[in-house]
Amino acid sequence: MNGRVLIAIALLALAAVIAFAARPHELTADERIDQITAELRCPVCQGLSVKDSSSDTARQMRDLVAQRVHEGKTNAEIQAEFRAAYGDWILLSPPVTSWSGLIWLVPVAVLGAGLIFATGRLRASAAPNADEPSPSQIAALRERVAREEAAEG
Amino acid sequence: MTLSRVARVAVVVALLALTVTLALAFRRDPHDIKTGTIGKPAPAFTLQRLDGSGEVKLADLAGKVVVVNFFASWCLPCTQENPALVRVYERYRVSDVVMLGVNLQESRENGLAYVQRMGMGWATLADDDGRVVLSYGVFGPPETFFIGRDGIIEGRHIGPIDEETLVNGIEKLRGQASSR
Amino acid sequence: MSAGDLGAAALRAALFLSLWGTGAAIYAAWRRDVRALASARIAAGVGFGLVVIAALAMMFALATHDFSIVYVAENNARETPLFYSIIGLWAALEGSILLWTAILAGATAFIAFRGTRSIPRLATTALAVMFAMLTFFLLLVTTPAADPFARLAIAPDNGNGPNALLQNHPLMALHPPLLYLGYVLTSVPFAYAIASLILGEGGDRWLVATRRFALISWGLLGVGIVAGAWWSYAVLGWGGYWAWDPVENAAIMPWLTSTAYLHSVMVEEKRSLLRTWNLALVIATFALTILGTFLTRSGVVNSVHAFSLSAIGPLLLGYLVAILVLSVGLLLWRSARLRDAGPIGAPLSREAIFLFQNVLFMAATLTVLLGTLYPLVAEAISGAQLSIGGPYFDRVEIPLALALLFLMGVGPQLPWHGASRATLERQFTAPIVAAAAGAIAALVTGTTALAAVLTYALGAFVVATVIQEFARGVRARRTLHGEGALAAFANLLRRNGRRYGGYVVHVGIVLVALAVATSQARTVDMENTLAPGESLEVSGYTVRLDAVRPVSEPQRDSVVADLIVTGNGASTRLHPALVQYPNSVQAVGSPGIGAGLRDDVYTILAAYDQRTFSWATIRTRVIPGVSWLWLGGAVVGIGAVIAALPAPRRRAVRITVAEVAASAK
Repeated sequence: MNGRVLIAIALLALAAVIAFAARPHELTADERIDQITAELRCPVCQGLSVKDSSSDTARQMRDLVAQRVHEGKTNAEIQAEFRAAYGDWILLSPPVTSWSGLIWLVPVAVLGAGLIFATGRLRASAAPNADEPSPSQIAALRERVAREEAAEG
Repeated sequence: MTLSRVARVAVVVALLALTVTLALAFRRDPHDIKTGTIGKPAPAFTLQRLDGSGEVKLADLAGKVVVVNFFASWCLPCTQENPALVRVYERYRVSDVVMLGVNLQESRENGLAYVQRMGMGWATLADDDGRVVLSYGVFGPPETFFIGRDGIIEGRHIGPIDEETLVNGIEKLRGQASSR
Repeated sequence: MSAGDLGAAALRAALFLSLWGTGAAIYAAWRRDVRALASARIAAGVGFGLVVIAALAMMFALATHDFSIVYVAENNARETPLFYSIIGLWAALEGSILLWTAILAGATAFIAFRGTRSIPRLATTALAVMFAMLTFFLLLVTTPAADPFARLAIAPDNGNGPNALLQNHPLMALHPPLLYLGYVLTSVPFAYAIASLILGEGGDRWLVATRRFALISWGLLGVGIVAGAWWSYAVLGWGGYWAWDPVENAAIMPWLTSTAYLHSVMVEEKRSLLRTWNLALVIATFALTILGTFLTRSGVVNSVHAFSLSAIGPLLLGYLVAILVLSVGLLLWRSARLRDAGPIGAPLSREAIFLFQNVLFMAATLTVLLGTLYPLVAEAISGAQLSIGGPYFDRVEIPLALALLFLMGVGPQLPWHGASRATLERQFTAPIVAAAAGAIAALVTGTTALAAVLTYALGAFVVATVIQEFARGVRARRTLHGEGALAAFANLLRRNGRRYGGYVVHVGIVLVALAVATSQARTVDMENTLAPGESLEVSGYTVRLDAVRPVSEPQRDSVVADLIVTGNGASTRLHPALVQYPNSVQAVGSPGIGAGLRDDVYTILAAYDQRTFSWATIRTRVIPGVSWLWLGGAVVGIGAVIAALPAPRRRAVRITVAEVAASAK
C-alpha cells in the first residue's frame, strides 16, 4: 500500500476515535457526584479532594452532594452552598468568575509569549535551507562513520 | 542570543515580585482559615438532644445570645477547653445567654457518655449526618460560634477556647443588644 | 564525649574548613596558585569527612535514643524500631538539613579532587562557589535555627516518637535521600555555570564538564519523585499517588526545568545556540530546589510534609535572594558575550522541536510555581483565602503533558537543520499507524476518557518511533559489523548511550503516562459496611471481611481488618488498618494493597465498631495499571544510567551532517 494512503487511513481512524471519546454525553448521577466532589476540598485533609478522602467529614460531604444531586440541584447551586459556608477556599480550582480566576491566564500568557518568541527565532532564519544534505550525502556520511567505527574495532 | 531590554526588565520585575511574595508569606498562618459565615444569618437547624429528651430549634432562640460549640469525645483539645465552657455556662446560667453543644462524627452513645463524664449541663445535640457542621463551615472540633440576638453570626473561634475569650464574645453581643 | 558532642564539634570544625576552603579556592582561581588549590582540596576532603561523622553521630544518637538532644527527643522514642530510628535522620527539619549538608560536602570534595584536574581554572572557580554554598549550610546547622545537636537541659525519659506518617513504611528509607541527592547535585552544574560567567567564558566548557552531573541529578530527581509517589500511594491511604501538594510541586519544578535543559543543551552542543537560555535553565533549576525547600520547610504553606514554622525560613529566603541576585546579575552582565552563532533552523528541524519543547516545559513549570504561590499572593493582597489544587493543575498540566508526549515522538525523528517531505514520510508512517492502533486499543479496553485516549495514541506513537530507531540502529550494526541482533542492540546502548539511553527514558515516560491515564480513567471506588463473614463484589473481585481485631505493638496500637480477596485469578489476604501512634491525635490509615500488573486492589479501613468489632466500613478501590507507574520510573532510571555511563574509549569522530554536506560539494 502507498505510504500516503496508509497515513491518511490511520489519521482518519485516529480522528474518529478521538471524536467518539470527545462526544458530549449525559452524565449519570454517580458521575456528577464524582465530578462535584473532585472539585471540593476536604476541610480536614491536606489538600485532598472530598472525592478522594476517607475522612468522616468528606463522607458526610459526599452524602450531602449525593442528596442535592438527587434533589435535582445544578452543579453551580451545590457549589454555592459549600461556598456560602466555607468561602472560595473550599474550591480546589479557583472560579473563573471571580478575580482569583486570573490564575487561569498564567499558562495562556506563558505559552503565548513563548510561542511568539520561538516562532520569531524561526522566522529570522526563514531563508531557504540550501544546506540540507541529499540522501546520497547522508549515505556517504553513514559509510564514513561506519568505516571509522570499524577501524577502532 | 542576547536578552532584549524588555526581557531584562521582565526578569528583574518577576524576581522582585517573587521575593516580595515570599517575604509577605511569613505574616501568614496557614492554619488560620476564615470561612464565609461570619456576618451572615446563622444557618437554621433543628437537632435532637443526645439524651433523647426532645429537640432544639435554633429559630426558637431568636432574641437570645447563642453560643454554639462543636465538640467530639475523640477530640483532645475539646477536653482541654471543657472546664472553661463549664465555668462560663454556670456564670450565665440564669440569663438570656444560651449555650448549645453540637456533637459530631461519633455515635450518640459515645457522645452522651462524654457529656456526662465531663459534666456538661447545657443542651448537647446530635448532628448525625453532619449537615449542621457543613452549613456552619466547621473544619474540625473544637469550634465555637457566637450568634447575636438578631440571629447573625458575630464571631467564631477555631481551636480550644478560654474563659476570657468566651466571656468577651458573649458580653459584646449582650452589650450590642442593650444599646439597641 | 557523647555522640552529640562529637557531631556538634565536627560541624563546627567543618564550618571552619569550609570558610578556609572558600578563601583558598578563590585565591587559587585568581592567582592560579597550585598550593592554594591543594589546600582547598584538603579542606574539602576533610570537611566532607567531618560532616559524614556528624551525620553518623546523629544516626547513632537516634539509634541509642539519646533524648538529651532536642532532635532525638522530638523525633524518636524508646519504642521506635532500629530501622526507623536510623532513617529518623531525615524525618524532620534539622536532620534533613544535615543530610543535605553532607551530600553537598560530598559533591564539593568530588569537584575538588576530580574536577580540578581537567579544566583547572573553571573547576577551581566552581569549587569556590561550591564552598560558599557549603559554608551557608554549615552556618545553618551550627546556628540555633537548625542546630541538629541542640541540647535539652534535662533529658526526658522518653521522646515524642517520629511523625506517624514517617514510620509507617520502609519506602521512607528511599525517597527522601534520592530526592536530596537529586536536589543537591543540581548545585554542581550551577556552580560551573556561575564560574563560567564569573570568568567571562563565552563557550560551553562548563556544560561539557557537568553534562554527566546534570544527567545524574535529573535521574535521581525523577526516580526520587516516582519513589515519593509510591510512598504516598502506599502510606497516605487515599489510593492516589500525586495530589499537587506543595512538596510534590517543589520536587517536580526543578525536574521540569532540568528536563528542558537536558534537551536544549543538545542544541548548544550541535549548533552553539541558546547559550544564555541554557545558563538560565541551570540557574533556574538550582534556584527552584532552594525555593522548594524554603516553601516546604519554612511553614508558609500547608503540606503533608511541611515541618513546623521555624526560624530557618528567613535564612533560606535570604539565601535564595542572594543566589538570584548574584546569578541573574552575572547573566545580565555577561549576556553580550553569550551571543549565539546564528539563527535556529526551519520549523521542522530537531532544534525547532527542542525550542517548542522548552516553551512547553516553561509553561508547565511556571504554572506549577504560580499555582503554588497564588494563594499566598491572593491572601497578601486581598485577605481572601482560596485553594489551588488538583483540578486546576490537572486542567492545565495534562494538555501540556500531551503536547510534550507528541513532541517526544516527533523530535528524535527529525534531522537537525530541517526535514524534507520524503524524510517526513519515511519517519512517520509507522508511528502514525501505531497512534491509530493505540487509540483503538484504548477504546477496546474501555478507556474512553478523552485525555486517556490521547495518551494511549501518543504513547503508541512515541514507542513506535523508539522501536523504529532501535530497529534501524540494529540493522545498521548488523550489516556493518556482522553482529547478531542482541549484540547489536547491546552495542547501541553501550556505544551510543546518550542517544539510545535517552530513548529508553522516553519509553519509561510513556509507561508512566499510560499508568497515570489508565488509573485516572478507570478506577472503581466502593464503600461498604460489612460484618465479619460478609463480602462485597467489585470489578470481578470478591472481598470478604474475615475479622476485625485490635493489635498492640510497643510503638503503636492498631485495629486491623483481615480481608480475603479472590477473583480475576488472584487470591490474597489484605490487612488495611487504622494505626494509633501515641504522639498523634488521630489514627493514621494504613491501606492494604494487593498489587498486580493488571490492577491493584486498594483497601482502606474507614471505620469500625469500637466496642464489639462487629462491623467495619471498608473502602475498596480497584486501580488499573498503577504498577506500571513504578515500573516506568524504574525504566527512566535505567535509561538515565545507560545515558550517563561513559562509552568505551574511542577516537573522537565529530562530524555533523552539515560538515559532510559541505565536504561533498
